[in-house]
Amino acid sequence: MTPSDLLPFLLLGPLVAGLLIFVMPVDERSAWRVEVLHVLSIFFVLIVGLVVIASVLSGSTIFASSNWLMVDPLAAVFVGLIAVVGCLTGLYSIGYIRHDIAAAELTLQQLKVYYGFFNLFLFTMLLVVTSNNIFMMWAGIEATTLGSAFLVGIYGKSTSLEAAWKYLIICSVGVAFGLYGTILTFANAEAGAVDPHQAVLWTSIVAHAAVLDPMLVKIAFVFVLIGFGTKAGIFPMHAWLPDAHSEAPSPVSALLSGVLLKCGLFVIIRYAMVTGGTVGPEFAQSLFLLLGILSVGVAAFLFFTQRDLKRKLAYSSVENVGLILLGLGFGGPLGVGAALLHIINHSLAKALLFCGSGNILMKYGTRDLAGIKGVLRAAPLTGVLMMAGAMALAGFPPFNVFVSEFMTINAGLGAGQYWLVGLCVLLLTVVAAGFVQIIAGSILGKKADAMPVRDVGWQALTPMAVFALLIMVMGIMIPRPVTDLLTSATHLVQQPEASTIVADQAPPSIVFQK
Amino acid sequence: MSDMQIVNGLTGLLIITSLLVVVTRKPSHSAAFYALQSLVLVAVFVSLASAIGSVQLYSWAAVAFVTKVVLVPAIMIRSFGNLADEKLGGGARISPALTVVLAACVVLLCSLIVSAVTLPAAQAVKPALAISLAHFFFGLTCIVTQRNILKQVFGYCLMENGSHLTLALLAGNAPELVEIGITTDAVFAVVIMVVMARQINRKLATLDADQLTNLKG
Repeated sequence: MTPSDLLPFLLLGPLVAGLLIFVMPVDERSAWRVEVLHVLSIFFVLIVGLVVIASVLSGSTIFASSNWLMVDPLAAVFVGLIAVVGCLTGLYSIGYIRHDIAAAELTLQQLKVYYGFFNLFLFTMLLVVTSNNIFMMWAGIEATTLGSAFLVGIYGKSTSLEAAWKYLIICSVGVAFGLYGTILTFANAEAGAVDPHQAVLWTSIVAHAAVLDPMLVKIAFVFVLIGFGTKAGIFPMHAWLPDAHSEAPSPVSALLSGVLLKCGLFVIIRYAMVTGGTVGPEFAQSLFLLLGILSVGVAAFLFFTQRDLKRKLAYSSVENVGLILLGLGFGGPLGVGAALLHIINHSLAKALLFCGSGNILMKYGTRDLAGIKGVLRAAPLTGVLMMAGAMALAGFPPFNVFVSEFMTINAGLGAGQYWLVGLCVLLLTVVAAGFVQIIAGSILGKKADAMPVRDVGWQALTPMAVFALLIMVMGIMIPRPVTDLLTSATHLVQQPEASTIVADQAPPSIVFQK
Repeated sequence: MSDMQIVNGLTGLLIITSLLVVVTRKPSHSAAFYALQSLVLVAVFVSLASAIGSVQLYSWAAVAFVTKVVLVPAIMIRSFGNLADEKLGGGARISPALTVVLAACVVLLCSLIVSAVTLPAAQAVKPALAISLAHFFFGLTCIVTQRNILKQVFGYCLMENGSHLTLALLAGNAPELVEIGITTDAVFAVVIMVVMARQINRKLATLDADQLTNLKG
């Protein structure tokens, strides 16, 4: 079986699993069947995803289904994120959802809804990042909203329904802007003498970027940035994010923050490549810098002032999306490379912390930081893992986020953006202070006397330990396949016309040389 | 009268039907006006298909008829009929007169924007293109100015009709699968919004967006 044959199966696996879970009868004795099917599905995505990435690394860009599906080095980075974070949060879900069932927070029917939509959510995100058809890419983003809205509102409480409604409306409206941008781009390509069947393909559009109407390209990019930027949680379109992240079950919060936001960024990067080919990179870069620094600035202070742990983490996601935009805005191999590396690093660290917030909810029954004291004493392993995640997101070495933040700052200095870099560094100290607040106020300190010393189960701790290990590895020595993939993806973003060249023809690594 | 003139004329009706959708008090009546608007949209698709000789647009018109004229309004009328919030009343933040003035401003602004577009496909349909863009933003206006969450669903539907019209005007020869896919996706979106609105009404006994303000900060 060739990689092209395998690619559709990567999508079909979680889709079929999700649909099967919906139709499976479930009672107390047969709930394990749903869990088994779910675990099979997430491992299927992990294994097939890694095989696809290996094929991209060793050969050329993979095309399938009449070129409507494509995995190039850029898409491979995101396939990897979905596969790894999806699998680990999927595993974490087992212990977490069992706890919620035992605590009567969820019913067995809701368990089915949870795992069914979890797998559909994975399918929709995979559809986004493997789409070469720009309309399918849009439909994928729209489907991520529709698929995950029920996950956000699954507890059926007034606050979770409120969060789900805001998420549904704001993101649907946002993505409607994305549709407008998609239509304008398609119409522009078709007017540029590209055959209509080819004009829906991103590879054709980017190959003909030079002949597109510059004004229309700019208008389309603004629509795309507003539309898919809503999904990416960019300020000021981020309003849904703190509510949805805080009300969703913790593994879903990890998926939303770790992967979904990055899918929005992925689409924006794809369109920035087209825009760069028509009007040069400066137009998109200036918008990235503006929205990036605004996102970091606003989110840093809102992050600092939150008392709800999950809302705090949600604002940290907005801040990190801002940092990724800054990397893209600084441009050059270092800036783009830093942005892509930060996408991976933030996903791993934030997924760890959201899973940790799930442990705290299981242990303390609250998200209010005032009520969470002495995690390290009450649940020692959770405390250590959460401390690692918090220190990573605060940007302390030797954790992974330090590396990508350092690269972003270097890229900014290299681009001559001294004031912007200075402001960004000041804002990052506010963020670091916020994480120190979590560590000092909640993880360390004295636990309440009534709180027993007992950690949550191994089903929840094992995936978190793997996240922590990955964070350390990415901070100390990034594995060679990852650097190769990031180098190829960086090269591709900078020279999109090379989108169909084989990966091993990419020039030697500039950014990630060892 | 040429086909393109018919297209431009029919799109004017879209704004009128949009106003009816927005200013009508009862959501089930709004659904009926939405069906009427979608029928006008289907007529635009057919006229346009005849003008440019696009087979794809005929099939899109057929799909739009089934989904937008029949299916979505039927779902809405059936679902919204038994949802109520007596405290909310009409739920409009602004008066109907101001809504009309706002719609006129949006159309004017969009006409100015579209006048700068130089795309060859847009030249013969600039008035219709301006209306389609205005329709999109009028839908957004509806979401912002309506407190009733059911009316917000209509706002989203208006935005979709606007963007679908733009696609038909600028790229009538787009592959059928794309056009049909976009239209079908809209049905899913509306169904999920309706399900969510019903859950909210059942749990919170309200349809007022201003009551959904427990989450702040």
